[in-house]
Amino acid sequence: MKDIFSLFFAYAKSGLKTRFQYKLDSVVATLAVFLREAAGIIAMYFALLKFDTINNWNINELMFLFSLIFITYGIFIVFFMALRDFSDWIKHGDIDRVMLRPRGILTQLVLCGADWLAALGHGTLGIVLFILSANNVGVEWNAETILYYIVSIASGVLIQGAVFLFFSAISIYFIETQSLKEIMYWNLRKFAGYPISIYNKFIQSLLIFVVPFAFVNYFPAQFLLRKPDMAAYPEWFMYISPFVGIILYALAYLFWKFSMRFYKSTGN
Amino acid sequence: MNKTIIDVQNICKTFKITKRKSGFKGSISNIFHPEYEHKKAVNDISFKIREGEMVGFIGPNGAGKSTTVKMLSGILYPDSGSINIAGYVPYKQRKEYVANIGVVFGQKSQISWDLSPLDSYEVIKHIYKIPDRKYKENIERFTELLDMQKFIKQPVRQLSLGQRMRADIAAALLHSPKIVFFDEPTIGIDVVGKEKIRSFIKTLNKTDNITMIFTTHDMQDIEKTCERLIIIDDGKKLYDGSLDSIKRNYVSSRIIEAEFEELPEKIDIDNVTVSNVDNNKMKKLITFDTNSKGINLLMSELLNNYNIKDISVKEPEIDAIIRDIYEGKIIVH
Repeated sequence: MKDIFSLFFAYAKSGLKTRFQYKLDSVVATLAVFLREAAGIIAMYFALLKFDTINNWNINELMFLFSLIFITYGIFIVFFMALRDFSDWIKHGDIDRVMLRPRGILTQLVLCGADWLAALGHGTLGIVLFILSANNVGVEWNAETILYYIVSIASGVLIQGAVFLFFSAISIYFIETQSLKEIMYWNLRKFAGYPISIYNKFIQSLLIFVVPFAFVNYFPAQFLLRKPDMAAYPEWFMYISPFVGIILYALAYLFWKFSMRFYKSTGN
Repeated sequence: MNKTIIDVQNICKTFKITKRKSGFKGSISNIFHPEYEHKKAVNDISFKIREGEMVGFIGPNGAGKSTTVKMLSGILYPDSGSINIAGYVPYKQRKEYVANIGVVFGQKSQISWDLSPLDSYEVIKHIYKIPDRKYKENIERFTELLDMQKFIKQPVRQLSLGQRMRADIAAALLHSPKIVFFDEPTIGIDVVGKEKIRSFIKTLNKTDNITMIFTTHDMQDIEKTCERLIIIDDGKKLYDGSLDSIKRNYVSSRIIEAEFEELPEKIDIDNVTVSNVDNNKMKKLITFDTNSKGINLLMSELLNNYNIKDISVKEPEIDAIIRDIYEGKIIVH
């Protein structure tokens, strides 16, 4: 375990050193991510000055909902960036190098590929939204709710990790999976910021059963906020939410393990 | 005799390749009814390599060299046959096995473009769990041997190709592997740079008794470093032995370069072919086969009948021999 940490720090150090070769770019990159994502939130804020609520969710509750997306994504890109970009790794033959090193393949991928600056951009925005909203959404922060919140964050990171682990396994067969990721992850992520109850049944089921973003923010937020639109879904969804991540990740891991046996390295 | 460290028995590897059909209709039908072609990349290859040997692996593009090396290094499974290296089965015990090998890809650096070699070595140290003392010793030694003092702390993007390659070789050796695979380590490097790399590899092979496998297209690499040569073509092993014995046993043609004092109307000697050397009409190349024409006879015929200024017998060039082997003009076994 100690050894895993020391490897993680060695990778982190070299990753940061690489980024700071280009000092201006790194500062701007963090700021750019922050502003790009914040712009969406600001637009929502002004819209709500007019409408007050979206399906009974007021601005504070919506910011709370969004904060979960940004915080989990910020942590996600610390650990899963290599999986996010896995088809590039395959295309360039970089997996061969990973296989030539005496460590688990997934261990190396998870530890090596952090995009720290983008993580900082997303994470900071998530934390800002959380701080702005946490005390204005009627949640009593005690040991139980804090624990639920922390586990939900971890679960949300794992859910997104599992989705990309699954895509990575598919890349082993098809190499390029960019469009699939575009449709299934990036587009759905845009929906996922808002309460899913505002969408039609089809999009709702995608967000619950296919790429379960609903378990990243909506159901964990419902556990804490108890909004009336939860009535449309089984109540136990809120209670299983913290475990969805680990279960999905385990399934994706098995599929990945199975698929790696078919890995054909690209020719020279 | 050293003991066998690499034992490869009858390995085969077939790839399934989608046949590309042309045209719009073809690409649609490709999606729904893909047709596959089976390509035997490696077809029943066996060999043994002893500890400390330095073996050159050559063959034309697509011959199966890379596939063989990938199977040896644990990246690919063979479809059939067995591989045993230093007591491991590479594709089954990948993690334990690869701690014992180093791989240098001439076309694919393992050190980071934006960092100095030393920064990249730090990460490698953690990946391989190299003990501090050994790490320091190796860095010092390789810096000295590979003449890296000047650039070890410079970002790799500022290095020349030759310097980068040296830094890469050191990276593959930091964990003191028993076996090192070099995949075209001198590609694109100038003559001086190539010499440096070859002499380092040779030194290390002698002093540390590291077993080395070398794939390359540059026959000079092989001539200057390897005692043994394995030629692969079309997935099969064509030849396994020393470079000298190819020259001795399989190549019976020789070339005489003769410069004439005055040009004869016609060179009339049996069983030879005469060709020009560039634009110099006075110089001719006379190719003959030692089996059908004795060199004594040919020389005396030349010297007695023609007015000759200068004459020399040329060794067959290794590049030409290898080309003839690939083209099937020389059958080796």
